Amino acid sequence: MNLLQDAKNWVRARSIHVAYVDVGSCNGCDIEVLACLAPRYDIEQYGILVHNNPREADILLVVGAMTPQWIDKLPALWAKIPAPKAAIAIGNCPISGCVYNRRETYILGPVSKYIPIAAEVPGCPPRPTEILSAVLSVAPTVFRDYEVKRP
Amino acid sequence: MKKVVDVSIPLGPVHPCWKEPARVKCETRGEKVLAAEVELGYMKKGIERIMKGRPWQEVLFLAERVCGICSVIHNMVFIEGMEAVSGIAVPDRAAYLRVIVNELDRIQSHLLANFSFCYTIEHETLAMYLLNTRERAMDCLERITGARVNKAFMIPGGVRFDLRDNDRAALLTDLDWIQNEVDRYTRMFDTGPLIATRTKGVGILTQEQARIARAVGPTARASGIAEDVRLAHPTYRKLNFAPLVRMEGDNHARIMLRFGEIFQSIGLIHRCLSDLPEGPIRGGGTCGAGETVSRGEAPRGELSYFILSDEYGRIVDIAIRTPSIMNIDACTHFMLPGVTSLADVTSVFVSADPCIACNER
Amino acid sequence: MGIYQEKDLRMLKYHILVSPRHDHAVRDVAGILGMGVQPLRRLLIERLDMQYLENLAGRYDQWVEHGDRKDPLDRALGRELFTRYLPLVDSSGMDLILAEARASVEAGIPASEAATRARARLAEVLRP
Repeated sequence: MNLLQDAKNWVRARSIHVAYVDVGSCNGCDIEVLACLAPRYDIEQYGILVHNNPREADILLVVGAMTPQWIDKLPALWAKIPAPKAAIAIGNCPISGCVYNRRETYILGPVSKYIPIAAEVPGCPPRPTEILSAVLSVAPTVFRDYEVKRP
Repeated sequence: MKKVVDVSIPLGPVHPCWKEPARVKCETRGEKVLAAEVELGYMKKGIERIMKGRPWQEVLFLAERVCGICSVIHNMVFIEGMEAVSGIAVPDRAAYLRVIVNELDRIQSHLLANFSFCYTIEHETLAMYLLNTRERAMDCLERITGARVNKAFMIPGGVRFDLRDNDRAALLTDLDWIQNEVDRYTRMFDTGPLIATRTKGVGILTQEQARIARAVGPTARASGIAEDVRLAHPTYRKLNFAPLVRMEGDNHARIMLRFGEIFQSIGLIHRCLSDLPEGPIRGGGTCGAGETVSRGEAPRGELSYFILSDEYGRIVDIAIRTPSIMNIDACTHFMLPGVTSLADVTSVFVSADPCIACNER
Repeated sequence: MGIYQEKDLRMLKYHILVSPRHDHAVRDVAGILGMGVQPLRRLLIERLDMQYLENLAGRYDQWVEHGDRKDPLDRALGRELFTRYLPLVDSSGMDLILAEARASVEAGIPASEAATRARARLAEVLRP
């Protein structure tokens, strides 16, 4: 690995663009992701920028239990995100379906069937600090040696 | 649906301004929106179907997870329904504590709604102030109920936790702080000249249209319909509650009404705290068979549960009507047509405080 | 890449219509029209968007309480119900049917008979 690659990796791990997608949650995890924006948690001091544009994103936060409408749309959305990229499942719903994974339900989880999930943050809902620390701990491991691994 | 013109501009399902997925297809001529059509199904989890045949203990948790923003009122309406069905009485102190928690939930929900609106019209400073204020309200909720979002605070025959003395003191301090801050932001919002151009006269919902779509909550009250289910609630009656009404029916009126309701909620909590009777917080009782329609005023409007239960307290049949169903309908079919610029579509949509998770269940 | 966002929503719309309150409202409207439940569901799915369907029960309840209060014939045919609350027909088509019904009442046909005929006419207009 040369110096330029080192520098690129270092910069990448410190400016993380986040997009989030709600694939059928109760809104609880949604607002906890939003709460991360609040000056109290101040997500931007860590170099994380939350905006909802998948084409500029590095990390995708997936919230929700995977409803049928998303089966084709979530992989399409994932394909739009440029590499290097990682997806983090926020809350119990994308992991197991939580309370919705019962008889007579419409959901078709888990999300990991459709896109690769790099990290999972269980909780119903997880606290904003947990979401923040998940993003911060995933980003360096995903982007650390990307320049070397890169095809 | 029948098309008015050929050009239809889709917004969503993933949109930077909307927190939840919905797809609004706007038929436009030039910049003017002629008609709007909504495509849903992104959040349909079938909660009503899952609830059927389950014991009330499980339905309690499911009812909360219909909506994460206003989970307290879903809990409250369902539990009050079960109490009405099985004839369980609630101790006075518990009834007051329910109102306190419900009003705190309304404060945080309205702050979030106004945050979303300010964020949508790109007034990020005000938006961040409001979101920061909301965190204080969330702290109050967490101190009283032990959780931030899904609290399961109310149970048949009472509430789970009592209000401790130090929580009460902290609550009073926080409410004063919130009142001061929100007062400042209300004046900022009301007098901002650029905010006025994006809000006044935009997205008008007349009273007649609001009646057709059966709009409820702040959306209806901003159009001059003085309806509020809290008027019929016994505890709120003791507190001399009267709804706020505005006549304009535009974005500005809806947001200002929400600000007004935050102050009103703070006043209600103060009254609750001064009248708070001593006594037990849990009465106890057994959930039984019956059929009822239970109503409550969610932050977004009237919420009603139709509940049919059997003798073991299992839910045989249930139907939930959430306020967002009516408000999103009023928004997309009456407010959006006639909007003069496509740039206002997002802000008009957000001003009705849409909650897609409630809407589809 | 095709237009992957446009997909068949009929099954999702059907899921909305079969939940208890909506089912109730659909059955009542089918009673007014003298139509089968399933054809009416199909009609609603084809003509209305998903938010109308979600709010079907709300709008129907509102019509029962407030709509068409003045004229009994309007009420029997659901003039405002089908033009404003659930926009399935345009108001000119509705007025035409109502004018025919009024004319037949004046010609001496009993009101209930005229309403039944007009309903059949309305169902005919609505049928795809």
